[in-house]
Amino acid sequence: MAWIDSLSAAQIAAGVVAGEFGATEVARASLDAVECRDAEVGAFLQVSADAALEAAARIDASRAAGDPLPPLAGVPLAIKDNMNLAGTRTTCASQMLASYESVYTATCVQRMLDAGCLPIGKVNMDEFAFGSSTENSAFHPTNNPWDLERVPGGSSGGSAAAVAAGEVALSLGSDTGGSIRQPASFCGVVGMKPTYGAVSRYGVVAFGSSLDQVGPFGRTVEDVALAMNALTAPGRDPLDGTSQEFAVDFCEHLDDGVTGRRVGVVPALMEAEGLAPEVRRAVERAAAQLEQQGAQVVEVELPHLDAAIAAYYVIGPAEAFSNLARFDGIRYGYQEEDCANLAQQSALSRAHGFGREAKRRQMLGAYLLSSGVYDKYYYAAQKARTMITRDYARAFEQVDAILMPAAPRTAFKHGELSDPTQMYLSDLYTISLNIAGNGGISVPLGLGEDSGLPVSAQLVAPAFHDRELLTYARALEVAFGAAPVAPACAQKGGELA
Amino acid sequence: MKELAEVLKDWEAVIGLEIHTELTTLDTKMFCGCTLSHDDEPNAHVCPVCLGLPGALPVPNERAIEYIVKAGLATNCQIQKRSMFYRKHYFYPDMAKNFQTTQGPVAFCMHGRLDLDVRGRGAAERPECAFGEGEASSLASASANAVGLSASMGEQMPEGASCGGAGELGLPERFDDGSYRVPIRILRIHMEEDAAKLNHLGGEEGRITAAAESLVDYNRCGTPLIELVTEPDLRTPEEARLFMEKLRRIFLTLGISDCSMEKGSMRCDGNVSLRRRGETALGTKTELKNLNSFKALHDGLAYEICRQAEVLEEGGVIYQETRHWEPSRKRTVVMRVKETADDYRLFPDPDLAPFDLSDEFIDRCASELPELPDAKRDRFEGAFGIKRADAEQIAGDPATAAFFEQAADGLAGKAAQVVANLIVNELAGYLKAAGASLEESGIAPTQVASLARLLAEDAISSNQAHEVFEAMAESGDDPEKIVDERGMRQVSDAGALQPIVDEVLARCADQAQQYRDGNQKVIGFLVGQCMKASRGSGNPKLFNELLRASLS
Repeated sequence: MAWIDSLSAAQIAAGVVAGEFGATEVARASLDAVECRDAEVGAFLQVSADAALEAAARIDASRAAGDPLPPLAGVPLAIKDNMNLAGTRTTCASQMLASYESVYTATCVQRMLDAGCLPIGKVNMDEFAFGSSTENSAFHPTNNPWDLERVPGGSSGGSAAAVAAGEVALSLGSDTGGSIRQPASFCGVVGMKPTYGAVSRYGVVAFGSSLDQVGPFGRTVEDVALAMNALTAPGRDPLDGTSQEFAVDFCEHLDDGVTGRRVGVVPALMEAEGLAPEVRRAVERAAAQLEQQGAQVVEVELPHLDAAIAAYYVIGPAEAFSNLARFDGIRYGYQEEDCANLAQQSALSRAHGFGREAKRRQMLGAYLLSSGVYDKYYYAAQKARTMITRDYARAFEQVDAILMPAAPRTAFKHGELSDPTQMYLSDLYTISLNIAGNGGISVPLGLGEDSGLPVSAQLVAPAFHDRELLTYARALEVAFGAAPVAPACAQKGGELA
Repeated sequence: MKELAEVLKDWEAVIGLEIHTELTTLDTKMFCGCTLSHDDEPNAHVCPVCLGLPGALPVPNERAIEYIVKAGLATNCQIQKRSMFYRKHYFYPDMAKNFQTTQGPVAFCMHGRLDLDVRGRGAAERPECAFGEGEASSLASASANAVGLSASMGEQMPEGASCGGAGELGLPERFDDGSYRVPIRILRIHMEEDAAKLNHLGGEEGRITAAAESLVDYNRCGTPLIELVTEPDLRTPEEARLFMEKLRRIFLTLGISDCSMEKGSMRCDGNVSLRRRGETALGTKTELKNLNSFKALHDGLAYEICRQAEVLEEGGVIYQETRHWEPSRKRTVVMRVKETADDYRLFPDPDLAPFDLSDEFIDRCASELPELPDAKRDRFEGAFGIKRADAEQIAGDPATAAFFEQAADGLAGKAAQVVANLIVNELAGYLKAAGASLEESGIAPTQVASLARLLAEDAISSNQAHEVFEAMAESGDDPEKIVDERGMRQVSDAGALQPIVDEVLARCADQAQQYRDGNQKVIGFLVGQCMKASRGSGNPKLFNELLRASLS
């Protein structure tokens, strides 16, 4: 019998539908893989074995009854711990919410469950998604399955690591400045940030409301396409006023190829300081591959991209300050004992419930929104936002997609980047998409020749052209091979009984 | 302290109002699907959104937008096609998110106007006065400061108006009867959500200070609330009260709120400052809270004007502070002193897209506007020929107006006025005493119409009408039935009454003689005797005539 990590989500669902194995066996195999691998990887904060087995039993019962099965029947799913799933803790990897139990389920999670996924558990992240390494988790770090001494990236580090380690076939992450695409790159898996508004944010604990977007991780492009279908097919979510109708079958044109398509590369980004030569060479090879498959590679400019990080560190903290104001230790979450009065209770609960980076961002946001300062920074950041959006619009008059690195380098070691501003720069290639709102996907290109660690390219398309992204990603997958499970983890537990 | 009238001879009061109205007639809250109801068990109507649970997102209530647009149209505001929601931050447990969703520099409704008609005693409180040059603009900017907004929030200024361009301050128009009409400018009406209700137990007077525990009821949290801010155009407590009454009548007619000041679904804060008559610079203002009835609004402002005058006349200084009106002790006390402006860190709510109201939407709202109280009053006065004051009172309450139209259907002049009198006196008095609404009372327009007919036909006297009305309201019986059963029908047949007159004159020979000797007053006694003898059923006017004829 096969190991669970040797199967893609599509293969698992097909196997369950065909009766080659039951969803319950899949659930057990996935839980066993977590049991055997996660002590080293540390992707999971909480394993929801009962919920996974219950969901599996329902699928097996449906099949026994001859009912039609949903498209992701029996596929093990890991959920970033900023997404509500009723009956589980949703901690955002923060002491503030260490014991907070969800009373409702996020739309994105519910849609994955409705599509047949098994909720294996909740996975680690940087506290409230503030970070690029998952080192800001209040509970424990997560290790990169390719090299346990290294970080998995972040903030959705647990989501990327769980898929790379083969513990689950799919996971959900959220991306505010690169938090899906950068860890996908560090862990060598496919990670997609859809266009803002494509996936409902209802039930996902907000960091930056105008930047946050939920997306899937998988080891194959097809798996990510299936997840995108699950997330968008039911239509726009009436519970999220910013979500939009996105009626597209993401699996339909996967193998259309790139013949005649115009793919842009941005010279300034390829020559940026801090871009590792192995990453640059890999992205150049990707461009060459696309050209070989019939695409036309064109140079384009994105002149205001250097303003993206600055704009992001105004808009992000400002919105975070506002969104995190509700965590005051009064109704739920960490509550300081024996306080003299209300003001002291919320002040001390916040002082002791939040970690350093969470406090840093909120203080920054509180400052940026204060009167007299607001006009200077927030207003300027909104202007920069308009300019960057316009840059992309101009570029997309010349090309259908843009190819660039997903991260400037491969995974770094724990503790290697101690200066927060250095950490902020690791989002150089991803942040502008959150500013502009259009979608991007991180696609593995194999291992870098210098580090021996996964390297990825990022593809970017105009807003709501997300389906096309998957076609380009598929073209690269054909050329570079699908993402393997990290060798140190493969076939360690998780045999399908 | 001096009396208000005396103070206002030397001082001019500059008053602005901030009026919050809960849109209680909506089914659901502003940003979630929870039922709007404040009377149920605490926290019976809550959900992740209005509790501010992690991950919850707001979705605006479209009907609430419709309501505020109607409120704006009915108060002559310019409806802003593009406006946004903002987040206003403050840490307090009555707002689960620790920010209130409200609007920024551009509200749905900007720059409106209502005209007030001030009559009677209150009209004397505003002596003829000339307004200084440039006053309007200085007032407009002062009021913009009052709501804590700067024009540079990265949002476009409202359509059809430059910064602070609320139009000129209008002059009052005097009429021969001493009354006057004055336009009051409305700065804006914006949409926001109400906070939760805090119940402080064990402390003094329900305040948080020294409370043993404080409980939060989130049923009210997220209730759609509209805030109207006037320009500081009001000059007397009477004008403030009339403005509030007029606004309430309009909102009731629109059906957007139950407008209960008692229950707090309509609340008013007043800003007031004084300046010497003839001066144009504004004095330091105080903000008054707890003005939760028309009387409190009037009396609180009147007290505060007199207090400020006394302080100023004694050479003292007015501090910018918030004061609490204590109706029982008839005074205002300091709640808090505002030394610096609070920093609410207002910024556009990223969870709520900017609103782009279409012309079709605004046109539809306009087409759905009911006849407003002023228009209705004019129509009642013109078509039915009833007194203007009665027309105004009846037109001000939609249920009463509809009731009147049915009861007075086909009537005009005196007959219609009889119906109006019954409604203004008997019906209003009965409902107030019974504490019931018109609907709850079960009284039908046809009943009042019948009663009016009995009165107009002299079948009953106006004293009897009161008795019949009470009986009708209690029993639900028709007036004719009550009159017949109680033998109240007034006899207006001279032939039937003459024997009673003869009998009384025979019995009261002394009084009859007094009359003949020139004492006209004694006729009243004789009419009374006739009424008594007829057990109240005789027509007193006819008795009077018959007595005079018999005695001449």
